[in-house]
Amino acid sequence: MFMNSNLFEPGKSKPERNFVQLAVKQNQRFDGRRSNECRDVELAFGEDWGTVAVSLGDTKVLTHVSCDLGAPTTSRPNEGKLQLNVNLGGVAFLDEVQTTHEQRSLTLNSLLERTFRSSRCVDLESLCVAAEQHVWCIRVDINVLNHDGNLYDASTIATLAALMHFRRPDVTFADDELRIYTEKEREFIPLLFLHYPVSVTYCIYKSSNQPIVDPTLLEENAADSVIVLSFNSYQELCTLNAGGTAPTNVRTIMQCARNAANRAKALVDFIRKALSLDEERRLQGSRLIQGLAALIGETPYKLSFSKLMGQQKLELQASLNDKIEVDNKSISKPEVEEIQAMVEPSKPETDTAMDTSSWLPPDEDSQELPMPAEASTSKAGKGKPNHSKSKANKKKLAKRQNHSDSEEEAKQVI
Amino acid sequence: MNLPGKMDVEKDKLRQMHCEFNPLSRCDGSVMYSQGATVVIAAVLGPIEVKTQNLSIDGSYLECNYRPKAGLPQVKERIREAAIRDVLELALLAEAHPRSKMSVQVQELEDRGSVDACAVNSACLAMLIGGLPLKCSFAAVHCIINEQGEYLLDPDQSETLHQRASFTFAFDSVEGNLLLVQTKGAFKIAQFNDIECLCRAASAEIFQFYRSQIAKYHGRSEAIADQKEEPSSMET
Repeated sequence: MFMNSNLFEPGKSKPERNFVQLAVKQNQRFDGRRSNECRDVELAFGEDWGTVAVSLGDTKVLTHVSCDLGAPTTSRPNEGKLQLNVNLGGVAFLDEVQTTHEQRSLTLNSLLERTFRSSRCVDLESLCVAAEQHVWCIRVDINVLNHDGNLYDASTIATLAALMHFRRPDVTFADDELRIYTEKEREFIPLLFLHYPVSVTYCIYKSSNQPIVDPTLLEENAADSVIVLSFNSYQELCTLNAGGTAPTNVRTIMQCARNAANRAKALVDFIRKALSLDEERRLQGSRLIQGLAALIGETPYKLSFSKLMGQQKLELQASLNDKIEVDNKSISKPEVEEIQAMVEPSKPETDTAMDTSSWLPPDEDSQELPMPAEASTSKAGKGKPNHSKSKANKKKLAKRQNHSDSEEEAKQVI
Repeated sequence: MNLPGKMDVEKDKLRQMHCEFNPLSRCDGSVMYSQGATVVIAAVLGPIEVKTQNLSIDGSYLECNYRPKAGLPQVKERIREAAIRDVLELALLAEAHPRSKMSVQVQELEDRGSVDACAVNSACLAMLIGGLPLKCSFAAVHCIINEQGEYLLDPDQSETLHQRASFTFAFDSVEGNLLLVQTKGAFKIAQFNDIECLCRAASAEIFQFYRSQIAKYHGRSEAIADQKEEPSSMET
């Protein structure tokens, strides 16, 4: 009598798949975006510390961070704990077949675990109160409100923003007695970060070698493979998740990675800017704090990526020598081919570009895959003169080592 | 935490209500509803396929879930969920769709007092906007007696810390019958009656809010909605 709602999910049927494949072939997208254009990101901070709602187009995620004192694990007695919980049920999937549901939440959970826990982005040692006895356990609850593709990016942005927004109470431990201070007694303390990772998702189709960024649910379901890359603001690779059936060459992945690194940097800058605005509002007085009520209707309390970063762009045009400007430019460029044309000449001028150039040599060095290496020689050739020009200090070299590690990882996956 | 609180609102008035219809794309009806700083989001889906164990030949099966902002639902949330389900079961026209399921999900976004009432109201709005059959619409109001023995309608969380008693009433729109009574704490019967009257008066304001918001959503002017004298069952 009633159709199973799983069939209602866009992109699952054959005609839809064919449609998307054809559209991608013609370099067009259903919502009129270009292949490397992302949807606008909106942030809204709650009244409590560590409550953030993120919307990425129609994809909406609510993240809440809470903390609790607990005992550490025996293997790491002087480190706090970071726990990530993904809630896919609820308002996002009212009637979902259990198996796809499980799979989705597992993938998302593992991606978040790798991005935030395995990459050790939060300084867990600072969360230790008394070794082997009391540590802070940070719990992140990720509630998916609506799924319209690219849950990965929405949840990593939400998680990072929530963790950065979160403040924990101060605590002292003396004479076997824990004393937790209220906000009135002592100011709350923000978490310490070692780096700030954010993911960027690409979809790859068999019909075209052009990857598309920030897929909608239709595009994501119809995709042959989905690549999720997590980069931190220093443009270091934290997680790479590549799956699916589309044959992908190294060149495409490198191209994705380069754009993703820029995008991640811009996103982290955006989150920082949004946080500082929220801070300002809090300092100005309680009346201005809207909390999540700001989500309703059109209010100036929503902090959108295009608005904030657009502003920043204007500010930067006064002082043209900043790198973020370049990042923004490269993101807003229409065609990826054009980006390469645009970015590569500008490489010698910016040190961010120098970072990216340092990824290329491993292509040549590692002889594991002769075919893709051949494909990328043209690029590597372009990258090399840059590299020789760069002031390759020790730090850079160390970084390069890191990159080549992750590079090899990437290759195994391919 | 410094709160906006209810400073600018009188003690016998509701906090300001706001709502946004269909913020979510993958359900039949959804609403983001706020009362003061308390924000909830409700979504409905139905009528849909039902599991055989829940199948009923003389009415639809109602599934109702309430999700807290952090962690898994505990006893407190289960009680809230049961309250929403009780009210919905009374108001839902279950006979309209036998052998099917109606699914209602409520997600808490921010709890700043009287979240029980907000959850019930958001569920009602979601049912209305999702076009699910209802016998009548309903509205819930929360009220407390504070330390000084004053009645405080729709209090903010900061005001509920020292309360003598708290009440949640739900009324239907057609006959004004009581659909839900939840009380906590010590109070006199006279006080109970007073608060019931206070809440009943406030529920009229909420019904008016429903009407104006739905009229606005369907592109009708508020004047037309005001003209409607009797509170209709408002099936959209």
